[in-house]
Amino acid sequence: MKVTRRGLTIGGVGLATASGLGLARPAIAQSEPIRVGWLAALTGPSSAPAIGFDRGVHHAVDAINAAGGVGGRKIELIVRDTQGDPTKAVNAAQEMISRARVHAIWGPTNSGESLATTPIMARARMPDIHPCFVDSLINVARYPNAFRLAPSNSQIDDAVSDYGVKIMKLKRFAVIGDTTGYGTTTVTSSSAAFAKRGADVVYKATIDATQPDVTPDMLRMKNAGAEAIAVWTVSPGLISRLMNTRANMGWDVPLIGHPAMGSGEVGRLVAKPENWEKTYILGFKNCSYGPDGKLPAHVQEFVDSIRGKIELEDTTLWWVVCGVDAINLVARAVRETGSTDAAGIIGYWNTVTNYPGLYATCSWSKDDHNGLPQSDLVMSEANTQRLGAYKLAPGYS
Amino acid sequence: MLIAILMSGLAVGAVYALIGVTYNVMFSASRVMSFTAGQLGMLGGVLGAAFIGVLGLPAILGFILTLAVCALVGVLTEIIAVRPVLNSLEQHLYVLSTLAVALLIQQFVAIEWSTEPQPFPRLLGVGGGGPTDEKFWLPMLACAATVAGLEFLYRRTLVGRAFLAIAEDNFAARALGLPERNLRMGSYALAGVIGGVAGFASGQLLLAFFANGAMLNFYGFIPVALGGLGNNRGAIISGLLLGVFQQAANFTFGGVFASVAVFTVFIVVLLAAPQGLFGMPPQRRV
Repeated sequence: MKVTRRGLTIGGVGLATASGLGLARPAIAQSEPIRVGWLAALTGPSSAPAIGFDRGVHHAVDAINAAGGVGGRKIELIVRDTQGDPTKAVNAAQEMISRARVHAIWGPTNSGESLATTPIMARARMPDIHPCFVDSLINVARYPNAFRLAPSNSQIDDAVSDYGVKIMKLKRFAVIGDTTGYGTTTVTSSSAAFAKRGADVVYKATIDATQPDVTPDMLRMKNAGAEAIAVWTVSPGLISRLMNTRANMGWDVPLIGHPAMGSGEVGRLVAKPENWEKTYILGFKNCSYGPDGKLPAHVQEFVDSIRGKIELEDTTLWWVVCGVDAINLVARAVRETGSTDAAGIIGYWNTVTNYPGLYATCSWSKDDHNGLPQSDLVMSEANTQRLGAYKLAPGYS
Repeated sequence: MLIAILMSGLAVGAVYALIGVTYNVMFSASRVMSFTAGQLGMLGGVLGAAFIGVLGLPAILGFILTLAVCALVGVLTEIIAVRPVLNSLEQHLYVLSTLAVALLIQQFVAIEWSTEPQPFPRLLGVGGGGPTDEKFWLPMLACAATVAGLEFLYRRTLVGRAFLAIAEDNFAARALGLPERNLRMGSYALAGVIGGVAGFASGQLLLAFFANGAMLNFYGFIPVALGGLGNNRGAIISGLLLGVFQQAANFTFGGVFASVAVFTVFIVVLLAAPQGLFGMPPQRRV
């Protein structure tokens, strides 16, 4: 065959095009980093959880990369501070999908942002794990790409009402929240959960978080015959006023409900340390000290290993370990499927069963993307925080 | 139970009344409704907590420093947000300028202090949290002292009479040679002090919280509207009544319905007496 200059040129161009478009591509894909988007509200009024998650995320990424990465591929974090603002979260998510071309996203970390970003990520079929509580954020038909690594609001309502009715053996409850959207909706759903268990909700109300004195509200609850008060607010001011007023009234009623009742801010605002007693908050089995004063063995080992490296006294342990688990679940999906293909990652997550995470034993299936089993939700004593974890509330063996 | 509601109602009402007086003092000197009044109250609590609780200064020194800073903020408000718009009062530009300063103060406190409420230190250690606790009677005491102080200032001192003169007719006062600008700045400093006293005295009740400013702006305005614009006695009585009514409504209706009750009464009163319960109907010169 005669080799002409024209044939050589055409052949060369064809070969170069083929190598550029197809042949060399798998080689690049196999060596490029695994890009993980991290939508974090690192500043702003709701930044506390994301700061905790962030410590776990960086720890997990550093640990995986130090061990050689996943199949030789390093993890590259693409972090965007959303400041708790849904608009900024949407912009950041779009930038991660179309410009940074991430392979999976962890976050956002609050429901307001997640409600805005979840449909966008679903349209792009972007694998996403988030720790947001709002029930409607998980819907396998509408958002087959979204997986929850946290309890849903329904699970939280069930855990708190189960504790009040089945473990504390009480019958009459007051259910209160603040006047935010979260407070208002949770008062309704929590009341329904108590009613479902045959308990009487004798008082139901929302209170403005800046109300200077809650004596009238507490008197109404007492007069209604409440045996326990379920509290749904993240406002340390309102929580501490409830506790201080309870003490001033000499009313020995337990408070049960939102984990914010165990925050350090509440501890600084209560008039006396004993005002903080008899308060039980939602917690997680893996992040609670048992009667022996220890965490479950594998979590205790992790906490011991990060002592001095990650600050735990000013945050909550479950935020940190949840961040670790999220990154490990992304890495595991890439390792098991051998690629960063979005459909492959989602397909793998759909098969995760009893993943022994630090935060919880997580399971997802094609029909259910709520990761936490109800048995992992427990109640803890609010005033017992040590290294970000709490002591199990009375009644658990 | 009645005493508990009454004491907390009077305490909260005293704070609303003092913020109402803060509005009035600024209004009298400039004919401007400055929406920084609530922020001055918030600053009183935050600065008190910062000076005494964080820096560990003695309570008296912390109190004086708090009032000094609040007075300075009052003067700065006059210079930045009020003086530039005095020539176009009819366009109500002061609404924007004073709201902008109020937001600046609030955001600055949120960034530099905290977005979460912080504890305010115990000042005297009187009372165990019950109805006789200092957190309830300190705001009432501050309110009574402010009323007495203002009465003395306006009736017994030359400066106080000069304040009244520019409040009555600033053109005539200027014609008589009174330094109107300096007196206006003095009024804003005085308003800063009154707002600071309100916030400091109620620090244990309201906590040192950046969001208190907006709440005090809102509830402090009601005594002004009910008592009649510029009428300090009306603001004091209306503020105390508002506090007691609000707490009684909290007990009777509970939750957000108490706010509905408060605003229903507010609207009904203004429909019946648009000039306020203690205000005079506007008179037209003929």
